[in-house]
Amino acid sequence: MRKNSLLKGLVGAAVLFGATISAHAADTLAAVKAAGTMKVGTETAFAPFDFIDAGEHVGLNVDLFNEIGKELGVKIEWVTLPWDGVFPALEAGKFDVVAGPATITKKRMERYRFTPPLAEATIAILKKAGDQTISKPEDIAGKKIGVGKATAQLDQLKEFSEALPTKVDIREYPAFTESYADLAAGRIAGVANSLPNIAFVAKQREGTFEVVLPPFGKKSYFGFIGLKDADHAPLMDAIDAAMLKIKADGRMATLQKKWFGASFDTPDSVKDPAF
Amino acid sequence: MSVKLFELLLQASIYTVTISVVSILIGFAIAIFLSGMLLSGRGLFVRPAQIFISFFRGVPLLVQLLLIYNLLPVIGINVPSIVAAIIGLSLCTAAYQAENLRGGFASVPPGLVESAEMVGLTPRQIFRRVKVPIALRLTFPALVNEAILILKASSLVSVVGIVELTRMAQDLAGSTFLPLQLFASAGLIYLVINWLVALAGGLIENRLPGAPR
Repeated sequence: MRKNSLLKGLVGAAVLFGATISAHAADTLAAVKAAGTMKVGTETAFAPFDFIDAGEHVGLNVDLFNEIGKELGVKIEWVTLPWDGVFPALEAGKFDVVAGPATITKKRMERYRFTPPLAEATIAILKKAGDQTISKPEDIAGKKIGVGKATAQLDQLKEFSEALPTKVDIREYPAFTESYADLAAGRIAGVANSLPNIAFVAKQREGTFEVVLPPFGKKSYFGFIGLKDADHAPLMDAIDAAMLKIKADGRMATLQKKWFGASFDTPDSVKDPAF
Repeated sequence: MSVKLFELLLQASIYTVTISVVSILIGFAIAIFLSGMLLSGRGLFVRPAQIFISFFRGVPLLVQLLLIYNLLPVIGINVPSIVAAIIGLSLCTAAYQAENLRGGFASVPPGLVESAEMVGLTPRQIFRRVKVPIALRLTFPALVNEAILILKASSLVSVVGIVELTRMAQDLAGSTFLPLQLFASAGLIYLVINWLVALAGGLIENRLPGAPR
């Protein structure tokens, strides 16, 4: 994490420095339409949103962006990076929007613009099936819990840990998939991640994993992420409109059922996130 | 572990091999140029080459890749992932290879060059018939070493969005929960590739001028 922040800081500082000499301005929506493709950045280790199944990139994001692409009349081109590299690359203009999705938080809203939510993101604990020592979220006090680095789930887990009598022994992983593997191998006692993700993993690996209910985090939502500047405003407006249309005509619910096994009741926009 | 998974690893290793081979070749071309600058003896050429080499040898390849991928767009050069990966690996290996070549040329015995002058060879002939064969022979094992190092370092290019062998193994391990089998297979594939490189290197080395027979 230290090394990672330092690295991001270096790139960030370089980008800030460079931004002053950059004079590249254009309407991104027009550029995307002219090119006929919209580039979407993401990581492929966040099932069921983006993951690799038998070598193919699949998930809710792939299906949902195909629908968004249809609405905008463009093809979707995926750029896959490790999660901690996604935001620096978005700012560097390597792609037009980020799938992810990311938890909508106050801190992120200061810097980025979110689309309407596509799922709930409230976090809960995934444990090994049959583990009697964890029956409620508070039981993770003093235990090793895995979480992805540079994630909002990490921040929420830290906050929750502070309130416990003994702190949680937080283990940060480059991607959530690696934390699931360590949980299966018994190296950690649980993984803290958003409910849709761990519900999917538990369903995929019945008998290996179990979800600890209720979720412990504050109610939060997942959105796609774009840049706030004027160049990106028309594109983000168009994506917002497309997503609201997809939600209104029931396609969103169909996709949620396909990937989560249930549909969510999400607001049309999140103005004031819980944290 | 299924055959299908192993096939996916092999497919991803095509990226590993292609990116590495292209980078080593481009890097070698740049290295020839750089070593020429270093050996010119003129500050005007030597200094820039030294600065280039100390930067690309001194900054971790991971950071170089992130800088090339995220920083070049800021000055208006938005390169795709594959280009960023090849630029990063090429420049890095060029710095090391340039030092190898410089060492090789510096090790050509002055006596041999003098003898060549004595028998009336022109400087151009001396370079082509005496210096290059000796330097090549001296630096070839280091070149093979460098090729193997770059093949292994190519696993870093996943940070700029290339799904090469290591990244594919990670992705598949994430979705299949078979980390042991996948990473062992990836290790095996790297081992075989590098063994082939070493084997080819040995064969070529024996055919270089001046090789013991």
